[in-house]
Amino acid sequence: MTLWLHILVLGLLASLAGALWRVWHGPAQSDRMMAAQLVGTGGVAVLSVLAALQDWDLLVVALALAVLAALAAVGFVKAQTPDSAGDPEETPPPTGGDRRSRAVRATAHGD
Amino acid sequence: MSLALDLALCGLILCVALGAVVGRGVFRSVIFFITYGLLLAIGWARLGAKDVALAEAAIGAGLTGVLLLTAHGRLRRMSVERAPRVGPNPMAATTGIAVALALGWAWFALPAPTAPDLAAALPLTGMGNPVTGVLLHFRAWDTLLESIVLLAALLGVWMLARDVDWHAPLGLRYHARPGGVLASFGRLLPPIGLSFGSYLVWAGADGTGGAFQGGTVLAAVVLVAMMAGVLPPPRVAQGGLRAALVVGPGVFLLSGLLAVALGMGFLTLPPAVAKPATLIIEVALTVSIAVTLAVLVIGPPDDKEPVR
Repeated sequence: MTLWLHILVLGLLASLAGALWRVWHGPAQSDRMMAAQLVGTGGVAVLSVLAALQDWDLLVVALALAVLAALAAVGFVKAQTPDSAGDPEETPPPTGGDRRSRAVRATAHGD
Repeated sequence: MSLALDLALCGLILCVALGAVVGRGVFRSVIFFITYGLLLAIGWARLGAKDVALAEAAIGAGLTGVLLLTAHGRLRRMSVERAPRVGPNPMAATTGIAVALALGWAWFALPAPTAPDLAAALPLTGMGNPVTGVLLHFRAWDTLLESIVLLAALLGVWMLARDVDWHAPLGLRYHARPGGVLASFGRLLPPIGLSFGSYLVWAGADGTGGAFQGGTVLAAVVLVAMMAGVLPPPRVAQGGLRAALVVGPGVFLLSGLLAVALGMGFLTLPPAVAKPATLIIEVALTVSIAVTLAVLVIGPPDDKEPVR
């Protein structure tokens, strides 16, 4: 049983490594951000299996990651809007102007 | 098999750390730093340091990510489109490697500290969680000063505000489409986060958790509510905000002075009242930590677009 749990964790870590490859290569900022979210989800999975392997208290850590990992996505979405304080769903953009060109530029060449 | 697991984890952590410092794009480094926090939390969990793993998960994956991404968005808004090309920095690299080597040497060369048996002393604190017992009893000085350091950091951030902005609400004027995904998320997460954060503080007395971890989760909740435009950001001069900022260090300091007045040492909690007193201090500290961290990430009062 422990052997299988170890193999499971190794498989999950391998999937995290795949997500990290995507963080490195991008190409768009949203690709990197979604890969980071995948690492967050994979982290919750790894911690849950580690909880079964070592100590069930680790489920609390997994829960903390699950609650907070989405926070970075909120920060990212906010930063994508023209005034860094809006919401991409808002129409028309409250400050007007170069919203579209910004969005295109951001997805075209995520640095 | 568990060796293979540890090696894989160490390899991933090293790769992510390299990715954060070697890459040239600022955004990529930020994302690598966020994943670095996540993997470190797993590493601490693997070592059995549950409370550290919890703190790392809450701070590293939660608050730091928002802070850095917001900073990156702000740089872009100030039309700093690309970060200046930074070449390799031999000075920083040498210093970093030297510190790592010195720490490694100290770990192997110095004799293991012979601490008095913690298990024997722990009942004096009334706590079941040795970390909380040490933090609030045997190392109360450190904890008190750390809570004051947070306050000092906030004052440092507020000093960056311009005089004309001083009476403006803190941070940016966040808004979101009513009923949209972001606004809904800002209403969905707070109830879950509030119960989870409060649970962490309460459970910290006897199990995994603690004031700092719980406070960080609560700070994240406040932050999401503010960014979704559900909760209006406070102003510097608001009495409630200031009271929340100082209640933790204040209660801690007063309890220490009370012990002096009763003829015991500073910050000594007598075993008879240790548990209730510790809980009161923990709750007060949690309020201060949560509000301070949230307000730190939101930033100084800022009324207009930054000057270009």
